[in-house]
Amino acid sequence: MSKTVDLELNEIGVEAAAGLREMLKSAINGAPVSMYSVGEPISWKEFSEGGWDAIGISEADGGAGATLRDLVAIGHVWGQSVIPSPLITTIMAKRFSAAARTYDGPVSFAIKTRSSGDLGIIPFGSYGETKVLKNLTGGADSLVTTKDLEALADDYADSLRLAEGKLDTEFTKAAAEELALVWASEAAGAAFAMLNKAVEYVKTREQFGQPIGKFQIIKHYLADAQMLVELAETATMMGALDEKLRRDSAIYAFDASIKVIETAIQVHGGLGFTWEMGIHVYLRHATALRDLALEILN
Amino acid sequence: MTTLASAQAGTAGHDTGHDIALFEAEASKWLQANVSQYWRENRGALSETEEVKIRGEWDRILYAGGYSGLSIPREYGGQGLGLAHEVAFASAAARAQAPDALGRIGRILTAPTLIEHGTQEQKDKYLNPILSGEHVWCQGFSEPASGSDLANVKTLATKVEGGYTVRGRKTWTSYSAYSHRCLLLVRTDANAPRYKNLSLFLADMKSPGISLSPIKQISGSQHFSETDFDDVFIPDSDVLGGEGNGWGVSMTILKNERGSVEGAVRYIELRADMDLLVNCCARNGEYKELIQSLDTRTELVKWQVSKSVAREDDQIRFFSATAGLKVYWSDLWKEIANLGIKISCTSHRAHWRHQYLESRSASIYSGTNEIQRNIVAERVLGLPK
Repeated sequence: MSKTVDLELNEIGVEAAAGLREMLKSAINGAPVSMYSVGEPISWKEFSEGGWDAIGISEADGGAGATLRDLVAIGHVWGQSVIPSPLITTIMAKRFSAAARTYDGPVSFAIKTRSSGDLGIIPFGSYGETKVLKNLTGGADSLVTTKDLEALADDYADSLRLAEGKLDTEFTKAAAEELALVWASEAAGAAFAMLNKAVEYVKTREQFGQPIGKFQIIKHYLADAQMLVELAETATMMGALDEKLRRDSAIYAFDASIKVIETAIQVHGGLGFTWEMGIHVYLRHATALRDLALEILN
Repeated sequence: MTTLASAQAGTAGHDTGHDIALFEAEASKWLQANVSQYWRENRGALSETEEVKIRGEWDRILYAGGYSGLSIPREYGGQGLGLAHEVAFASAAARAQAPDALGRIGRILTAPTLIEHGTQEQKDKYLNPILSGEHVWCQGFSEPASGSDLANVKTLATKVEGGYTVRGRKTWTSYSAYSHRCLLLVRTDANAPRYKNLSLFLADMKSPGISLSPIKQISGSQHFSETDFDDVFIPDSDVLGGEGNGWGVSMTILKNERGSVEGAVRYIELRADMDLLVNCCARNGEYKELIQSLDTRTELVKWQVSKSVAREDDQIRFFSATAGLKVYWSDLWKEIANLGIKISCTSHRAHWRHQYLESRSASIYSGTNEIQRNIVAERVLGLPK
């Protein structure tokens, strides 16, 4: 497979990222995130019929053969708009599990966290016909419905349609690290989007007769955020290409990205913590994924 | 509907990863054979004279081994390789705990700037001695009254027959006592508007009228000095990029000082300090989380440089990837040294005391980190000036 100029990224990664970017952009069509995160801007059918959920399956298993490096590029694009659809969990489930590959609907995992008690948190557990993997090696019976798990919705992150149910998916170390890293790339994409939003805001918002982006403290906050955005993305590349650094790269990318989103809230002033501004959707998305990632990494 | 298949159009790529891995393996072998054991074991506790001697020798060893000027084109005496090779060499050098070249200013700053702005005569005269380690360069930018406000330099060059006479005082001139030449930023026009009144000279440090007063730093070392220019004659042939173009030439110099190759070289130093923490001072597992985080962030310096190299052909993305590098590695080095002085073992106490104090300067020199953040905010993010 030929490489492009961007750190070992393959054609499939470049093209899928670009295609996905276009698709998300036209689906959102300028709507605010606080609105579309509670709707369904793209149907599951559109993703599955377009073959997007098979992108991370190896070529030998009939998939498109995207590498982890390609998948973090895709995750980065995905995180920029946090569309409420289970594409990323399904891509990863189908990459890991033969049973998941036999199912056309969305697939996810259940992860017990420090704060979730005996129940596992299921991203997209309250989305349509999502099925949940008990483990990554089993046959058809390793896929269960959310009803089987008596799952109840958790409304912390609209963009993740969380539920809590009676299951804790068994991961291998390798799969856990891959999933955590791709989730971290979503956080890095979210940080990138929120930095851009903050930059646009401080250029136009005026106080004391000038754009607030002219004040040095705002410049320095955002300069630091710019560096973190770069480094969070780089960390996901590093983690994809160096297995030894994968776990710590994911943790770094999450922490750096969340810091950026927090900064975006701060420079938006009073608007930053309104529901309507929507930065909280990204913050909730990234912090919810970090909880899950930290859990499976430990 | 956008399908994955429709999104996949053919794009031709190239794969040089194999060549670079081979190069790195060879460099690694060469470094293992050529970095002195004495340096590896004592690098943090050497006297200044000793350190300068070893680093000066290292310049010549690099040249003899064919590792000097990796990304400098062959026609100028370099190796004609790319930035990716610089990064690969830096990785190998970090593992081997190689010394930092004494001639780093010449190699990293002067050489690429000469290639961009120099006359053929200047290139012929100065490039080879830089690469061979024969000439060490220093940088005459800051003055007592103009630090961050660099364009405000007051050192005045007056036109005379065949050249200029320079009067003024430069400060924070690193390694001036060991330098043969100086990248000297002066004002050549007392009346022209800001940014248009400057010129960049390639000054001979042995010229009559130059005197040095060493400045003792908080670490106790004295590799800085104040440099006085008392009617120093500089010939016309040593003006770089033409009279009045000093600001533009300086920007090329600063871009290199804060850019990828410098980042790659800094990674070597950070990696060596991290290895000391991991393998020795913190071996009992203290501060495990912090050490892990510092370690990841150190590796990120290298990867960030690699990412910028991969984006070399896209100016905007390249600048976005490199603009914050200097802030990043300097703040990180301070954090590493902060931990080092706290948890040092007995045998590395002198090392960590030195690194702790020395690293304070990293967020100040080469443009303070505050100035760097302004640059990121204004030129990468486009915030209003």
